Amino acid sequence: MRRLVLLFVVIIAAWAATTVTEQQLRDAQGDPATWLTYGKNYRGWRYSDLSEINTATVSRLATQWISQTGVDGSHETTPLVFGGIMFITGPSNHASALDLLTGKTLWQYHKAPPSGLNLCCGQPNRGFAALGDKLFKVNVEATLVALDARTGAVLWEKQIADHKKGFSATGAPLVIKGKVLVGMAGAEFGTRGFIDAYDANTGERLWRFYTVAAQGEPGGDTWAGDSWQRGGGSTWITGTYDPELNLTYWGTGNPGPGLDGEGRQGDNLYTCSVVALDADTGKLKWYYQFTPHDTHDWDSIADPVLIDLMVKGRKVKAVVQADRNGFFYAIDRASGKLLHARPYTKIDWATGIGADGRPVMVPGKEPSDEGTRACPGLGGGHNWSATAYSPQTQLFYFHSTDGCALFYKQKQEYHEGQWYQASTDGALPNEPPAGSVVAVDPATGETKWKWEMVSPASAGMLATAGGLVFTGDGQGYFVALDARIGKPVWHFQTGGGIIAPPITYTLNGKQQIAIATGSSIMTFSLVK
Amino acid sequence: MTALGAGGYSHRVHLRLFIVLLTCAVAGAQPLKNPFPGDAGAAEGGHLVFRIYCSPCHGIRAQGGRGPDLTRGVYPHGDRDEDLFRTISSGLPGTEMAGLGGELGDENVWRIVTYLRTIARHDTTDVPGDRAAGAKLFWGKGACGQCHLVNGKGGHLGPELTKIGRERSLEYLKQSVIEPNKDVTPGYATITVVRRDGTKLVGVERGYDNFSVQILDSGENYHSFLRNDVASVKREFRSLMPDNYGRLFTPVEMDDLLAYLTSLRGAEGKQ
Repeated sequence: MRRLVLLFVVIIAAWAATTVTEQQLRDAQGDPATWLTYGKNYRGWRYSDLSEINTATVSRLATQWISQTGVDGSHETTPLVFGGIMFITGPSNHASALDLLTGKTLWQYHKAPPSGLNLCCGQPNRGFAALGDKLFKVNVEATLVALDARTGAVLWEKQIADHKKGFSATGAPLVIKGKVLVGMAGAEFGTRGFIDAYDANTGERLWRFYTVAAQGEPGGDTWAGDSWQRGGGSTWITGTYDPELNLTYWGTGNPGPGLDGEGRQGDNLYTCSVVALDADTGKLKWYYQFTPHDTHDWDSIADPVLIDLMVKGRKVKAVVQADRNGFFYAIDRASGKLLHARPYTKIDWATGIGADGRPVMVPGKEPSDEGTRACPGLGGGHNWSATAYSPQTQLFYFHSTDGCALFYKQKQEYHEGQWYQASTDGALPNEPPAGSVVAVDPATGETKWKWEMVSPASAGMLATAGGLVFTGDGQGYFVALDARIGKPVWHFQTGGGIIAPPITYTLNGKQQIAIATGSSIMTFSLVK
Repeated sequence: MTALGAGGYSHRVHLRLFIVLLTCAVAGAQPLKNPFPGDAGAAEGGHLVFRIYCSPCHGIRAQGGRGPDLTRGVYPHGDRDEDLFRTISSGLPGTEMAGLGGELGDENVWRIVTYLRTIARHDTTDVPGDRAAGAKLFWGKGACGQCHLVNGKGGHLGPELTKIGRERSLEYLKQSVIEPNKDVTPGYATITVVRRDGTKLVGVERGYDNFSVQILDSGENYHSFLRNDVASVKREFRSLMPDNYGRLFTPVEMDDLLAYLTSLRGAEGKQ
């Protein structure tokens, strides 16, 4: 009988461990053993207090296990770790749970995407969100699905939007107070962007905020005619959350059609912006637009990271973002007022950001039929890859693409569900863009160091109390940099291009690092 | 929508695998057919997708750049619709041409094929010059074959030219001969490595990443270095090809050389 009771207790303990509470999500930074949400904590820091792996020990970092997902396509997932399990998503509606000790697959999820999807950029997926015993992920055909974390069984699935109209979904959801917040993708197809909140238990939609203001609404007069109906403003990277202000912050993508702004004269609110929404209602509290009337495809979807800064002797609750337009911004996250903005890469389209918070434009940088040179190129600057902030160094880390491109435009009619970007960019002969890891002091916007790379990279960042920043590159190198000076102190050739962010956690008290590379997941820890 | 268990193999799995393989084998025997031949709407859609996905290499007007000129009506890896579909969909291993089928889906690939048909010029303009005389110049006075491979003969320092007549326009070829530094083929930059002892090695790029570099020197010897082991590495977007061919050849000889280059088409229609 005693054995039976003991077994029951063990089963209950294991069952309970495969759950995540709202309190745990709020306190995620204080639990370095786990990784519970996309940005590690609600502030999006991607910083761990773990320091076993540090500048002195990192040379002993070695592979623990490699799990081949068997799924074609690039993996962009931020794994979640809790209850002795790693939960990963993959491209094309794949997901799985891996045993943390061995990498063995515990369960797999797959739903075949519908045929004929119109997608701008493949079928990536950036990860799960978790609450209770449920995992939440989007499927590429713009649905939100809840899975049983213990079995992978589908609990519910809801349509976010109609994929036949060009909507899709790729970002990791964000759980806030029983709601699952998700964004969408598809601005390249004449869609109208939004951020949604769904009930975590039932999948019922609770609110929607449109990132493109309709005629008659505040901001609706920033769109010519009915152009707002096809106005873009995708929300394909996960937002952040300030529980004290009860505001959630999301970056918004470029207006549509991307490179021809003639038919949508005006600022095109709220595209290329950061929006602060009431987490309960989705009501707009404030917005800040980085690139009014964008015509260079400079989405502002980069992580909006929440940092309390000392700015000119005053402590300010700020949200910072390395924007695709080449400027690093710090904004008062209570009011939306710009604190400062400074370039972190070569910029030739604006001479700076004026006192009114608007860019001071350089004429003649609009896309044209014959191609107009502008810097940065279409992908930015810093694009979507995950950023990190270290309270230890008080530096903010991100990848940058450093170069220029030719921007073309082309008249184009709208056809529902079809490409509606009105052209593209082109490479400059003998001028391939370089890449860099940039460390910026968020209190001033000053670039403290750059690690120059041979080509741009899309891997994410992880900062740790070990004085390290982990990232990767497209050639397969997984790299640790000294967080203070940007010098590489360790690297490992994984054999697959890295476009995902690393995470860290503990297993039996020992620090582990995990990264998706190629079509596999690799974990690392120190060896003697 | 299914949650697949992590269960083991069974006879049923083997049977399913056999059926799948059989189906694939049967499907593989079927010729691929363009569902949009001559469809103007599909061509317009293909044009838009082309500008996003293909123009960075093939040029905004498909007249070539890093990738081949696609307006010529002949293509480096086969001229049939299904050849184009396979090339776009699956890519070309060992080249920068990535497969786009997974990202775009079959229908969009067919739309691109349909678009390419609408811009094919089937240029039949005679190239002035004597092809045979051009071949002599290529292998003789110009010594082009020292660095370029044609049909298995020649060097390896420069890009292979076996199919160059299908890949590049006459104008592009002429520019490449006269001004080799204007648009260096990706992967053929010049790299200078300075060793710790101060000795220098110059060669053509064979690999270049954040931690290592690989080069082929002028004697076609392969060298690989870890960046940490050398004093410096410099990559320049200039070609090791001499830039004096515009002066070396008379106008007539230049026409002959170009006639030879445009005649290099590989095995027609073969991958």
